[in-house]
Amino acid sequence: MIAPDWLREDRLPHIYCTGCGNGSVINCTLAAVEEMGWKRDETAFISGIGCSSRAPGYILTDSLHTTHGRALAFATGVKMARPDFNVVVFTGDGDLAAIGGNHFIHACRRNVDMTVICMNNQIYGMTGGQGSPTTPTGAFSTTTPYGASEPAFDLAELAVAAGANYVARWTSYHVKELTKAITTGMQTPGLAFIEVRTQCPTNFGRHNKLRSIPDMIEYLRGNAMLRVKYDRLVEEGADIPEGTFTIGELVRRRRPAMGVKQ
Amino acid sequence: MKLVIDESRCKGCNLCVLVCPYGIFQEGTELNARGIVVPVLDRPERCTNCRLQHLYGRVLCGLCHMICPDQAITWVEEKPFEPHRVEVEF
Repeated sequence: MIAPDWLREDRLPHIYCTGCGNGSVINCTLAAVEEMGWKRDETAFISGIGCSSRAPGYILTDSLHTTHGRALAFATGVKMARPDFNVVVFTGDGDLAAIGGNHFIHACRRNVDMTVICMNNQIYGMTGGQGSPTTPTGAFSTTTPYGASEPAFDLAELAVAAGANYVARWTSYHVKELTKAITTGMQTPGLAFIEVRTQCPTNFGRHNKLRSIPDMIEYLRGNAMLRVKYDRLVEEGADIPEGTFTIGELVRRRRPAMGVKQ
Repeated sequence: MKLVIDESRCKGCNLCVLVCPYGIFQEGTELNARGIVVPVLDRPERCTNCRLQHLYGRVLCGLCHMICPDQAITWVEEKPFEPHRVEVEF
C-alpha cells in the first residue's frame, strides 16, 4: 500500500505517457519506504536526467535532480556527508549505462550504502526514441532504423561483477516481487542495485510493433525467465529462446560497505 | 471500503484491466471531460480488499493499486448508509 502522504499530490497527474511503467516503479518504491518506516527528513531521493529521473519530483521529501549520468556521484557525496541519511537513486538506462557507466561501476566497487533503482526501458524515451546501450539486438529505434546491430548491456550482471551487495532484476509488471526486492535492497547494507524493465509503448513499442500497452506487457512477461529456471535450462543444455532475460534475485552477499549508518 | 478511480489522474492505460484477478475493471467506452476513456467498474463489491481489508487489517490483493502508473486507484471509506446495489440470485 503506497502512502499518499509521500506523494506530491499537487504535481499529479505526472508527465509520463499513457501506460508508462515508471509510475508503477514509484508506487513500489513508496510501498517499500512505507514498509521500512523511514522518516521524511532522513530520506533523500536522487536522480539524473531522463524520464525515470522525473520520479523524485513527485515524492514529497528531499531530492536532488542532478546532471546527466552523475546521480550516483552526487548520491555518494550525500552519503559521505550525512551517513545517517537513507539514499535512494532513481536512474534510467541511458543515464546509468551510457553516460554514467563509470560512476556506476565505481559506486558498485566502493559499495556505498544506497539503493539504486534503474528503470530500464531499453531506449532513450524522453528525447524521442534513440537507441541506448541496452537496446536489444535487432530492435528498431530512431538511430537504429535497420535494427540494432550491437549486443545489449546487461546491467544487473555488470553490477554483480563490479561488486554490489544486492542485485535483483524484475519488470514493472511484477509489482509485488519488485516491492519485496526493493525492501530487501533497502535493508541490505552496501549498494543495492535493482534493475526494473519497464514498458515504453510510446517510443520503444512504436518502433517495434508493440504499440499497444498489453502487447508491451506481454513482451516483458514473455521474455522474462526466473533465474532458477534459466540456470536449470543452461545445466540441461536446453535451448533458451532469443531475447530472454533473467529475473529474480541475482546476488546477495556481505562485502565490506562504505558509509553504513552506525 | 469501496474502490474508486480518480478521473482527474487516470490516463486510460487499462493496466488495471490486465491485472485484476476478478475482472472488475472493464475497458470504458465513453470519453470523460479530459478526453480520456476511463475504465468502468463491473460490480466492484466483489473486490476482496474492499470486503476484507478491515477484517485482516492489511491490504489483501492491491494489484491494481500498485500497478496503476498514475496513482489513480484507491479505496475510500464508505459513508454510513450509502446505497448499495444488491443482486439476488435465484
